[in-house]
Amino acid sequence: MAVVEGAIIYSNLLALLSIGLTITYITTGVPNFAQGSFAIFGSYVSLSLLYFLGLHPYYSLPISLILGGFLGFIIYIGVLKPLIAKEAKIVILMIATLAVDLIMLGSIGAYSDYLSTATKKAAKKFIFTPYDFNLIGFPAIFIVSIVAIALMLLSLFILLYKTKFGIALRASMENPALAETMGVNVEYTRLFSWMLSGALASAAGTLLPFRQEIVPASGAIIIVSIFASSIVGGLTSIYGALIGGYIIGVSESLITFSLSSILGSGVLVYAKVVSLIMLILTLIFIPRGLTSIKWRGLTRST
Amino acid sequence: MEGVNSEYLILTIVLWFGFYAIVVLSLNIEYGYGGIPNFGRALAVLMGGMAVGGLMNRILISIFKVSGGIIEASGTTKSIVNSIIAENPILGISILLSSLGLAAALGWVSGALFILPSAKLSEDYLAITLLAISEVTYLISYYNVDFIGGYYGVSIPDVLAFIPGTRRILVFTIILLLITFGCYLFVEKLLNSPYGRILKAMRENELVAKAYGKNVMMLRVKTVALGSALASLAGALYSFYSVNVIATSFSRVEWTFYPILMLILGGAGNNAGALLGAFAFVLTKILLITYKFEITSALHLPFQAVWLEYILFGVAMILILFYKPEGLIKEKPIFTKAVKKIVKTKQNQK
Repeated sequence: MAVVEGAIIYSNLLALLSIGLTITYITTGVPNFAQGSFAIFGSYVSLSLLYFLGLHPYYSLPISLILGGFLGFIIYIGVLKPLIAKEAKIVILMIATLAVDLIMLGSIGAYSDYLSTATKKAAKKFIFTPYDFNLIGFPAIFIVSIVAIALMLLSLFILLYKTKFGIALRASMENPALAETMGVNVEYTRLFSWMLSGALASAAGTLLPFRQEIVPASGAIIIVSIFASSIVGGLTSIYGALIGGYIIGVSESLITFSLSSILGSGVLVYAKVVSLIMLILTLIFIPRGLTSIKWRGLTRST
Repeated sequence: MEGVNSEYLILTIVLWFGFYAIVVLSLNIEYGYGGIPNFGRALAVLMGGMAVGGLMNRILISIFKVSGGIIEASGTTKSIVNSIIAENPILGISILLSSLGLAAALGWVSGALFILPSAKLSEDYLAITLLAISEVTYLISYYNVDFIGGYYGVSIPDVLAFIPGTRRILVFTIILLLITFGCYLFVEKLLNSPYGRILKAMRENELVAKAYGKNVMMLRVKTVALGSALASLAGALYSFYSVNVIATSFSRVEWTFYPILMLILGGAGNNAGALLGAFAFVLTKILLITYKFEITSALHLPFQAVWLEYILFGVAMILILFYKPEGLIKEKPIFTKAVKKIVKTKQNQK
């Protein structure tokens, strides 16, 4: 049972991360190679609040969300917007996000050194599970991660489908050129998507230490799962990211767990191999992801 | 700054220039000419390490009938082989050459396999897949102790054991520079050919390459196989230099990000630029490493210098992309004999 719970918690967080990745991919056309580090940023925000203010990580979620949005704002305005203005190719934008990832790794690493000397507590490697408690018979993280993703999905849904801004946003995602001629400011939608992505990733990062150990370089490991989730679902669909997050999250946890009960715990490190294999199989058979399949067409033809 | 041996410093700079020059040249074939964003370059370099630490070591272990796991056995084999090489240099040289052959073959095969799933897709999918494969392979080779000793690493014989310790680095550097120069001549010759020009055509517009009857997918597979074989040589040479192999030496930052930075700094699409970029980067990096204690204490940094290095090189990359995306040496238009002839006749007509 604990394994299934763990799989669901992990999938919730992965879905948040891959939704963020997909949103910025749709609006800016660039896969964000720093998405993993965005999450680790959130982990360190909540760790700092815990050490300095004694704030429980669950309460630091809103702060982490806002700071994450601010991070997305800085990255877009400071790095991507100037490059897009110069009509840089997609490859150049990708290299720029790779550079952002390295800068973030350096900054988070430097900050972790500072934090551990300043507080004399573990900051270069940490985990939040000792701070978790039981809530109606479940570990609290199980409930919290479900509530967090439900709330965020609900507000995203209301924003995209019930507000004028959301309609403009969706229009500029579907067809930026047409949206622009209709008077939508594509610049705002791009900026908003980066802020949203940063916020979602940072929130996921706040909860991630309840599930696994975090080091400054953890972003480089989790990025494989994020990309796999987004691609399995389909890089151009937000629903795809959601579905992909659950498929990858559940299979990473359950496949490695069932293998480990046969082959011993040594196989647990192969969790990322599961992601990679699913990513490769998707690229070979359905390169545009699950959401690109016309299910209705399939049933009709049979 | 006292206490730093200037001869050692120069040798270190030249040595690292040698390793990185090979990798940057290989990346130039793929990215500079072919436009393939290989965000998984580190994989090929790791394959070079595997060829030496995993394959060559196992061959030597079985020849000398050493028992035990790869980690302990490689240590025993190292001392046996070193004492033989000290008397008989030919063994050392033949181990070096055959390992380079193994590395190139392993690099070629792994390069071809690793681009296969995404060879048909657009550049963003390519970059994601290559990075993911490289990253996962790195993780496995770190956590699984059976390939190259995982986090313990494995020992490698010193192929120059016949040379007295004080001269070893100097001789190694000379051999490395010869190989690097050979790679440069090879790449220069290879790319100044119809193959190099079709690569550039594919980079600018895939449809053009297709229209001329070229199979873009096969072209990509061949190109990455070739680039990976070259980069593997660098990995093998690096392993022989450090006389051990450990997965952590083949990180994404060191062997994917830095080579991309060097290539863009020097100027993608021309080999002179690739070499210049490698040299400028290595010079900066080695000076930064050499004086890191002075830097951290002078600036009162409350953290390790490696983080500062990451931040600096990350910022450097973004500044280059902003202000000098074409690099120090700009790519020149191609003048083949036929093009020169047309230009001449046009001038004569005027």
